[in-house]
Amino acid sequence: MKRIDLEPCFVLHHRPYRETSLIVEVFGRDSGRLGVIAKGARRPRSDLRGLLQPFRPLLLSWSGSGELGLLTAAEPDGYMRAFAGRALFSGFYMNELLMRLLHRFDPHPELFDHYRAAIASFGAGARTEAVLRVFEKQMLESIGYGLVLDRDIDSGEPIRGGAAYCYVADRGPVFVQNGDRQGLRVTGETLLALARERLDDERVLDEAKQLMRAVLRGHLGDKPLATRRLFRPGSPVQDAR
Amino acid sequence: MSKDSLIQQLINAFRCLPGVGPKSAQRMTFYLLQRDRQGGRHLAESLVAAMSRVGNCRRCRTLSEKEVCAICENPKRDASQLCVVESPADMAAIEHGTGYRGQFFVLGGHLSPLDGIGPDELGVALLAQRLSEGEVGEVIIATGSTVEGQATAHYISELVHEKGIRVTRIAQGVPLGGELEFVDSSTLDHAIGERQSME
Repeated sequence: MKRIDLEPCFVLHHRPYRETSLIVEVFGRDSGRLGVIAKGARRPRSDLRGLLQPFRPLLLSWSGSGELGLLTAAEPDGYMRAFAGRALFSGFYMNELLMRLLHRFDPHPELFDHYRAAIASFGAGARTEAVLRVFEKQMLESIGYGLVLDRDIDSGEPIRGGAAYCYVADRGPVFVQNGDRQGLRVTGETLLALARERLDDERVLDEAKQLMRAVLRGHLGDKPLATRRLFRPGSPVQDAR
Repeated sequence: MSKDSLIQQLINAFRCLPGVGPKSAQRMTFYLLQRDRQGGRHLAESLVAAMSRVGNCRRCRTLSEKEVCAICENPKRDASQLCVVESPADMAAIEHGTGYRGQFFVLGGHLSPLDGIGPDELGVALLAQRLSEGEVGEVIIATGSTVEGQATAHYISELVHEKGIRVTRIAQGVPLGGELEFVDSSTLDHAIGERQSME
């Protein structure tokens, strides 16, 4: 029987389990993604109710050797400013990406730190699109599908800011000469901005979004991301129709 | 007792209630059969009637046996205030525990995209339509104080803003009789963040 003591964690998702308990999907710094049962967490007076919320840094202890662990203790891991509004949708989106793309019990400590930093920047009021693009890039890197952003994969030449490239799926950017290439068009500026993890220009953000969307589609398969329904362009009224 | 006897069927039927396991189900069954046949018959009739006739109010989506529920129909209720809640239980809590005398709208849950609950499942279109009728002057969002409840509140507030209607959110903070020392840190953080000026 394995025991884990006070590991830094985030709750990705939870669902009711039996009368008063929860099954919590957790992203642990050293354990990766896993499920734990939080007994009695749905009782009216349970301290766990307020604690086991997404986007809160936690220290969790659990035991168990099978598929699901049993939560034995939970406490907050320092203060992090809570965020509200649209950033919450972005947070849900990141959680869905992790749920879909991480295998259980596959640790990614560096990705955990990136996730924590992203959540902290939401709390600090950062621009959500920029945070999401950088996180997507870091996540792909962590799970072994990192993007090539620094050189032309045909010629090996470094990427030039002013030039136009075509991003070939699963391979990388190729310099476009006459527009004959298949694949997604992207400027050198966007590739370099992603590589530096600094996106602030409107056009760069838009291109980065198209690029990431295309790349992620290859990894997520046909099932669309449920959280994207919250982001549809235009007003929520139009969404409802 | 054979597996498909009437007694066993009743025991199994009671187990659909939350918190009722095999032991309590058996206790309830024997009680009704031995001591309260009258009560049992009444229970059965009420169940059949309610299950077949109770539906959702056309205007606020709460549970109602009529097409429009009693609150929506009541002309004395203030139609300029609309309180948006997650469930009929939340609606009952506000109705019985507060002096609120406006109208309600029941979402029937909160946004939880990973569980497949999006805006469409919450009747957001019906809410938008209701707001377009022009009677509502203030929308009070009373969703839960969970991350999902907050996301739902935000989604709805965007919709209400678009219609140019005032939108408020119920206050959150230290419970009555709560000593600060024992209040959990996130509630306290919220209470400090949302502090009010004292006139």
